[in-house]
Amino acid sequence: MRFLRNCIWMFLILSMLNVSMGSAETRIRCASTTSTQNSGLFDYLLPIFERETGIKVDVVAVGTGAALEIGKRGDADVVFVHAKEDELRLVKEGYFVNRHDVMYNDFIIVGPPDDPAGVKELRSASEAFRKISRVKAPFVSRGDNSGTHKKELKIWRKAGINPGGNRWYLEVGQGMGKTLRIANEKRAYTLTDRGTWLALKDKERFDLEIMVEGDKMLFNQYGVMAVNPERHPHVKYKEAMRFINFLISEKGQRAIAGFRDSRGNQLFYPDAKGFKR
Amino acid sequence: MNEILLAFRKAFYLIISLDRELIEIVSLSLCVSLTAILIASVTGIISASLLAFRRFPMRGLIINLLNTFMGLPPVVVGLLLYLILSRSGPLGFLGLLYTPSAMLIAQAILAFPIIAAMSYSSINSVSPDIRLAALGLGATRVQASIAVVRDARYGIISSVMAGLGRVMAEVGAVLIVGGNIAGYTRVMTTTIALEYDKGNFSLAIALGIILLLISLCINSVMYLLQRRVSK
Amino acid sequence: MNLTMKNVSKSYGGCVAIEDCTLTIKPGTFNAIIGPNGSGKSTLLRIASLLEEPDRGEVTYSDSTGVLKKDISLRRRIAVVLAGNTLFNDTVFNNVAYGLRIRGYKRHIISDKVHDILGRFQLSDRARRNVRTLSTGEAQRVVVARALVTEPWYLFLDEPTASLDPVNTELIEAVLREYSFRDGMTIVMITHNMFQAKRLADRIIFMYRGRIIEDADSSRFFTSPEDELARRFISGDMVW
Repeated sequence: MRFLRNCIWMFLILSMLNVSMGSAETRIRCASTTSTQNSGLFDYLLPIFERETGIKVDVVAVGTGAALEIGKRGDADVVFVHAKEDELRLVKEGYFVNRHDVMYNDFIIVGPPDDPAGVKELRSASEAFRKISRVKAPFVSRGDNSGTHKKELKIWRKAGINPGGNRWYLEVGQGMGKTLRIANEKRAYTLTDRGTWLALKDKERFDLEIMVEGDKMLFNQYGVMAVNPERHPHVKYKEAMRFINFLISEKGQRAIAGFRDSRGNQLFYPDAKGFKR
Repeated sequence: MNEILLAFRKAFYLIISLDRELIEIVSLSLCVSLTAILIASVTGIISASLLAFRRFPMRGLIINLLNTFMGLPPVVVGLLLYLILSRSGPLGFLGLLYTPSAMLIAQAILAFPIIAAMSYSSINSVSPDIRLAALGLGATRVQASIAVVRDARYGIISSVMAGLGRVMAEVGAVLIVGGNIAGYTRVMTTTIALEYDKGNFSLAIALGIILLLISLCINSVMYLLQRRVSK
Repeated sequence: MNLTMKNVSKSYGGCVAIEDCTLTIKPGTFNAIIGPNGSGKSTLLRIASLLEEPDRGEVTYSDSTGVLKKDISLRRRIAVVLAGNTLFNDTVFNNVAYGLRIRGYKRHIISDKVHDILGRFQLSDRARRNVRTLSTGEAQRVVVARALVTEPWYLFLDEPTASLDPVNTELIEAVLREYSFRDGMTIVMITHNMFQAKRLADRIIFMYRGRIIEDADSSRFFTSPEDELARRFISGDMVW
């Protein structure tokens, strides 16, 4: 009994030590999106950065809306998301500084192979959305204020349609993977980033096909920016800038270009200013 | 069906290969949850005793609130705690957000009402004669209260187990205040949620199986402890 | 050490339990409280043993130096055996050791004293058992042993042998008598058993409807009670 009690105490003391020791090294916090994290890009990129600088990057992966909010509140040092207009606006409002384009990939519209709305191989995303709404084919929306969701809403706006409140328009409020799963079950169309689509379509044997791709509107720009140290003096601005500079450096850009998912697909294309593709 | 079988195989391989990342995740889960439970138990049992032995204003209201908070949605706790611990929040200067300590606090908050309310009801169900008997043997008021709490120990141990069960299985709150940072605040449940997001269903279930096995171990230890106490 | 109760009254929620009870208990005496159910015996016992406060009147313990303060050191000279099974859910040993532990005795002293008293109550082989596994007789022996082990000056017992068989009753009575005669322990015991009162007590306190009706030496009480009610009670004529 006494021995057991001692063991428990030892364990608890050790565990406390363990918990408090974690903060000894230099680490910065990066708020980013689930799609970036789930693609495996960070698992590949961050060790390279850590080897080079000794700085550990803690990634908090949430939706784009939440990531920007976390940055605005000063709960992260750097934000790495894909909502260029919002990013630029927040820089202008003084929440962030030093925003840079880092890479891009693209969105695609996927849907059931029998294509009830007849949108396959259309060149225009907004045209496709218009057709979907005309036949009231089911469409699954992220509905979570994420970068993808914002992009989707922009396309609806361009198509001149307000889809909200219609029975065929399902706002699920979930991440991309879950949204694809729901679209698959509901035989619905949805907008997805190519990375998540490539990562999941074989693994989960989705009965969906790419309907529309290549529209300029579907371009998905990723950017990185530092939390403004004047607004939040506690942020590790110097280390954050080293991370940003790494991402847009020759070395960082090449690393991004070299990243492949487990099936050998390239998911991100570097496009920082001055980097030649 | 195939995927479930695959999950069991994966769980088995993960366990026998002593995967380093898995061990880190498991030990962090245990550290955070057990420390949270320790804190919640000490505060919860003391609160339960005060509620049972002292008469003070708002006592009924507090008991009612405790019972209500037993069903507190973890996500709400997580969000409130996030707003409090955020750099822009009242306790932001502590820099606790996205650390294991934040998860520990969230879990302690979730476990506290369970332990306090269940302990209170088991202390209350001890016959009032026990307290009187202790006083009649020369106990001080505090000693008599301790005797009653001791008599309720099986119920109290059950309440601690229930609290532990809740925090070990909890994902909503730790995801928000911990951030699921790889190698730092990633615990069993957030890993399971992440692997589900990534579509690694069998790995997610494998981790779930391991989580269950750990709970089984803890429960067995507690059961043995309880038996030794009762002998 | 004298126990004096003066004009003590107590009611529970408007229901009078005892009314205007006056009583002196002399050191070293064996006192039996008898009377029908609901006559206020248990209330009197709890107030006399300082477990409860009276509504009116006063309870004092005094010695040659004067009235004693009702603090923990006085309460530790008093032990109470309440009616029914009031054992802690624990082993026999831990139950009996309780009174000694809260007094801060050393481990080996506790162990010696507990085993000694368990021997007297023929419970030595039960020490490690949980009290829930005991028979009624054994459990009641533990209850009495738990109080006696603290070696109180005043021992209060509320029907300690109710529903026990003659063998168990005999055993408990023998030990009580021993403590009373040998150590001069003052004992106040509630009993329904007239023969037991006769066997053990030097003095009988007869209660009826919350009042002390008769308070007399045992020999006189049983031979020539002053009160009519008491007479009917002993002769078995009383119907209630």
